[in-house]
Amino acid sequence: MRAPDNSLLSLSPEGRAPIGVAHSSSQSRLAAASAAVSVDHLSKAFRGKPAVSDISFSARHNQFVSIVGPSGCGKTTVLKMIAGLVEPTSGSVVVNGEKVEAPLRNASMVFQSPVLMPWRTVLGNVLFCIELRGDSAARYRAQALDLVKLAGLSGFENHYPHQLSGGMQQRVSICRALLVRPSLLLMDEPFGALDVLTRERMGFELQKLWSLERYTALFVTHSITEAVLLSDSIVVMPGMVGRMPAVTIEVDLPRPRDADIMKHAHFIELAALVREQIEAGWAGQPA
Amino acid sequence: MSPIVRAGKIVLILAVVLLLWEYGAPLAGIPGYVLPVPSVIVAKFWATRAAQLSHILDTTITTLLGLALALIVGVFLALAVVYFRTLRALMMPILAAFNGIPKIAIAPLLVIWFGLEMESKVVMAFLLAMFPIFVNSVTGLGEIEPDIIDLARLSGGTRWRIFTHVRLYHAAPYIVDALRVAFPLALVGSIVGEFIGGNTGVGYLVLSGQLQIDTPLVFAALLSITILATLGTGAIGLFERVFLPWRPSMRRQ
Repeated sequence: MRAPDNSLLSLSPEGRAPIGVAHSSSQSRLAAASAAVSVDHLSKAFRGKPAVSDISFSARHNQFVSIVGPSGCGKTTVLKMIAGLVEPTSGSVVVNGEKVEAPLRNASMVFQSPVLMPWRTVLGNVLFCIELRGDSAARYRAQALDLVKLAGLSGFENHYPHQLSGGMQQRVSICRALLVRPSLLLMDEPFGALDVLTRERMGFELQKLWSLERYTALFVTHSITEAVLLSDSIVVMPGMVGRMPAVTIEVDLPRPRDADIMKHAHFIELAALVREQIEAGWAGQPA
Repeated sequence: MSPIVRAGKIVLILAVVLLLWEYGAPLAGIPGYVLPVPSVIVAKFWATRAAQLSHILDTTITTLLGLALALIVGVFLALAVVYFRTLRALMMPILAAFNGIPKIAIAPLLVIWFGLEMESKVVMAFLLAMFPIFVNSVTGLGEIEPDIIDLARLSGGTRWRIFTHVRLYHAAPYIVDALRVAFPLALVGSIVGEFIGGNTGVGYLVLSGQLQIDTPLVFAALLSITILATLGTGAIGLFERVFLPWRPSMRRQ
């Protein structure tokens, strides 16, 4: 079992409880400085309409952090502000000690749709970001092939995206994201468009691939089980804009996690806690 | 249906139409100077093969030059519009208004400006072919899924690399489609130019057939044009099959 990190839990009212809820707006500056990603009172309004308001949370290095919340609560916008693709209206994001003011360099993003280039083969798509940053594809070919193999796509290296199933396409896009060895891995509901069975399998696949290098990862999802299964901690975004702060829940389940862990009492307990927080967010009252 | 069977069906239908024409037209009492029968047309085509070849070559050259010019200018204008937002607001209405002018009407002006030689024909072909290439290039180069651009920016892609790795490839099918429309238009431009003045090109051949009331010659010239148009469209199709096998319309094969 992983030892709980003290930066978040120490501030929760119960101290170091096995299940901790941290109201992240009260995080100390110290915690922010040591974090890989620190989101501080982030707000965004599009043409005067608030999309995200006053969200704070942080993620430690090499942690897998899920961001859950009801649809329309601005999860994607938060992710894009962290990536530097969307400028916040107010508040700030610090990634690896630097304030984000332009699109991050060497961050990876996995989108809900695979966003593959139809004119590139599987291998070509995995190498896309390498080529875009100006590196030679030839140098990364062997690594790309290894990743493709690990993702269970052997034999499909030279296929075009349209010849693959949705799940396979998304695996290609995950390989593409991992090949650049990202300083930050951002995933925006990557399995949202997949059927339930594929989705569950992809969760385990992702865990396997992520475990290789443990890149700091932010994973937006609306599936509670997926979040508990994959994460070291879960940030619950409030459903109603501006009513309450985001809440962080630590997931202290041992890794690697397989399907059996989902029957564990502690797993169910954590999932219930996440659900409670989401519902509290809907109700607009702090739990 | 296998390709051989399909080709066979086309040949069969063509044969039936030609036979009906060959034997039906005289039976219906249509005189040869109104509608010459296929055998007469083919004989005329063969008898004038040297002239046909030299005139269709002239037309091919002006058509391809006009098309090439349209491709270069169309794509560059599209790039300007895609990369400079202010230009877009300025240029789009002007170009749209210009496209509204029937280009045929300005053909005599082109003769005054560029003379009776090749130039006026090339310009005519260019004017007709440019707009569809421009419009399609704007879509192909500009309307990239925002997620792809985000992905490219996060990997540290420069504008230039996004252009060479994303925009160009994304635009390729759009430009090929534009060429499908623009090639026949360029051909029309060349032939109209040849109608207006000069003594070269297949348009001139058609016109001289008309002046001599040599209807078989007119039809023989039309046969040359048909062959050129078919070869041109075929070349575009071949290009697409070889270089764009990934585009949705090509996937079934």
